[in-house]
Amino acid sequence: MTGINTNNKCKRIRVWLSEAISRHIGPDAQWLQSHITNCPRCQRRYLSYGKVNLAISAVKSQPHKLDLLMCANVQTIGVLKHSLRRAKEAGKLKTIRPEPKFLEKYSKYTSSALNVAACMTILLLMKIGVFSSMNMFQTQGQKVIQKYYANRIGDDLAEEIFSKDTKVTRLG
Amino acid sequence: MFGKTVSYGLLWDFAVSEAVSEDQRWILSTMHKHGQELITLLWRILGNEQDVCDAYQDTFLQLAHYEGGQKPKYVKAYIFRTANNVAISMLRRRVADRRKISTAVINGKHVTSPAKELDSKYLQESLRYYIAQLPAHLRNVITLRDLAELSYAKIGRILGISAATARVYRCKALQILTIWMNKEEKL
Repeated sequence: MTGINTNNKCKRIRVWLSEAISRHIGPDAQWLQSHITNCPRCQRRYLSYGKVNLAISAVKSQPHKLDLLMCANVQTIGVLKHSLRRAKEAGKLKTIRPEPKFLEKYSKYTSSALNVAACMTILLLMKIGVFSSMNMFQTQGQKVIQKYYANRIGDDLAEEIFSKDTKVTRLG
Repeated sequence: MFGKTVSYGLLWDFAVSEAVSEDQRWILSTMHKHGQELITLLWRILGNEQDVCDAYQDTFLQLAHYEGGQKPKYVKAYIFRTANNVAISMLRRRVADRRKISTAVINGKHVTSPAKELDSKYLQESLRYYIAQLPAHLRNVITLRDLAELSYAKIGRILGISAATARVYRCKALQILTIWMNKEEKL
């Protein structure tokens, strides 16, 4: 159990560290950008790195035909064993089309799902009595302070102050 | 008697073929599970639909004949590495063929112009050309990370290295690609 906790802690620290480091030494760091604008040698390097990045992005953004997977499957299944060619799954593969991944498919619902989750959490907290315990904690605290003031300035004045406060709070 | 033997033989053959098909069904399920990712990787390496289909077919044929039809321990690693190798060999062959043709046409002169530099297709082709020239360990990481968009952890598992090593290899590969693509500009 302790090992798991330590592992989780390590993981969290690693994430924080990498975030902090990338903020300070990453390509978007302020000091790096200002250096690049003043250093011609680094400008050249940065530009050449940008060219590779641009080429990679161009390769990634090039779409292929929608039926490419289907064609590839048909061609491949055609050269497999006869028993595999006749299998039910082979038929399905011959007509398959690319589908977006689960996360891509439901990414538009992320914000709504988060809102629902937040509401559920609040309801759960209300149900298990977290809010009522907080109220109780607040009134107990108020009583202690009232007692303190009563000891110092007298019961009458303390009662007057705290009764006003409670009224204001209630009205508010 | 002879007829009975023949029919038992046929029954046996049928049973064996059914058993084999049952045994190798995992090829079809692998195709279903990883086909899309593999097509994306091959398309990005090759950029030609017919070549993609050929490389895909070669990959699964190699998988089907792996150690006499045995299932590899880590199928995903096997198919990604095989597909990568097949695609790179095809790419090298293509580059060699093109070079032969272009040498014949322009007599060995390398033509570069600013307009060509900005041409997206030209950029893509030169990137593919230089990726094919990279050492195998760097090439595998850059194709799996930047073209197949796999995480470093997955790449590590596929190539049998740690995620940190994969990061270092990618960084080195990018440095080399940057130098090569820059040199070409100066030529």
